[in-house]
Amino acid sequence: MLDFVRGIAIVLGFDGLGWGLHRVGVPIPGGVLGLLAFYLALSVGLIKLEWVERASSFLLRHMVLLFVPLTVGLMNMGQLLQRQALAILASLVVSVVAVFLTTGLMGRWLLPPQPALPGLPLDEEKAGKA
Amino acid sequence: MSAVQWIGNPVFSVAFTIASYAAALKLHQRSRWVPPIVAACIPIVALLLLARVPYAVYNRGGNLLTWWLGPATVALGMPMYRHGIALRASLPRLVLIVMSGSVVGMTTAGLTAWALGAPRAVVMSAVPKSVTTPIAIEVSRELGGIPPITIAMVIMAGVLGASFGTALLRLVGVREDRAIGAAMGTASHGIGTASLVRRSELQATVSSWAMAAAGVFTSLVAAILALFLR
Repeated sequence: MLDFVRGIAIVLGFDGLGWGLHRVGVPIPGGVLGLLAFYLALSVGLIKLEWVERASSFLLRHMVLLFVPLTVGLMNMGQLLQRQALAILASLVVSVVAVFLTTGLMGRWLLPPQPALPGLPLDEEKAGKA
Repeated sequence: MSAVQWIGNPVFSVAFTIASYAAALKLHQRSRWVPPIVAACIPIVALLLLARVPYAVYNRGGNLLTWWLGPATVALGMPMYRHGIALRASLPRLVLIVMSGSVVGMTTAGLTAWALGAPRAVVMSAVPKSVTTPIAIEVSRELGGIPPITIAMVIMAGVLGASFGTALLRLVGVREDRAIGAAMGTASHGIGTASLVRRSELQATVSSWAMAAAGVFTSLVAAILALFLR
């Protein structure tokens, strides 16, 4: 329990830091600035993964709950949604297909299949790490 | 006490929202095809309509839950770091792939909506539709979009990718685990990632890394875009 509270406190601290930076003019959303600072702090070992693992997983697992109130706001937008239905649906389908093709095909080109037998790395893989 | 007083009381509206969410999770366990976000909203919308209470009254308490989206965004740094270690060797190439995918996603979504005559606020709501909800909401706000419309599009992008994404990739000859994961995480965030968990651990790992990374890249690109729009 104490472990969990400590994790939440650390996450809240980075969220506050992010919003502070956003407040003073960094043009990136506060939450994302907090994420970057949090990632950096984990990378340099300022905070340990096991301090924040449980609390972060908890927040991510129940993220859906957190955007329920905003989603309920759609109830006031029936007219706008009806008028813009075509634009919204078309933009959605075109863009989802475009992203899958871009990333999938770039992935096929840049990420050659990994060795089938773990523990027996191919030369190519060794070269990749060097 | 009147309905407005009840629903306007944050203790009641937060408790009612949590209860609706818990019921939605139960329903999702039985019927996998019902997205919890849709099921969770139905009792709340029904209550507000039946009691004739405006959304703004409910949102006095609702805002308390929305506030936690900030910390949830920060928490994404944890899987990004953990999976980043596992994917160390291919990280530079993954960064390039996810970044390209994010830029393509933002431009195609915005341009298609614009070409079909959507007003600016709807165009801007479409731009961040591929990334995880808390980041998409923030990006939508920064660009002058309408957050609820962005959320609806984010959810649909997730469901679309989770349902047809891997079939589309197979069609164009993409079979490698890391490529599938990168595409799914970039296009369809958490909903797409969840659909990979039972298929392949490597696909799911790459996908959850890509989902966090796409969120970061999209907000960086949006910040540059916002400078030009001013």
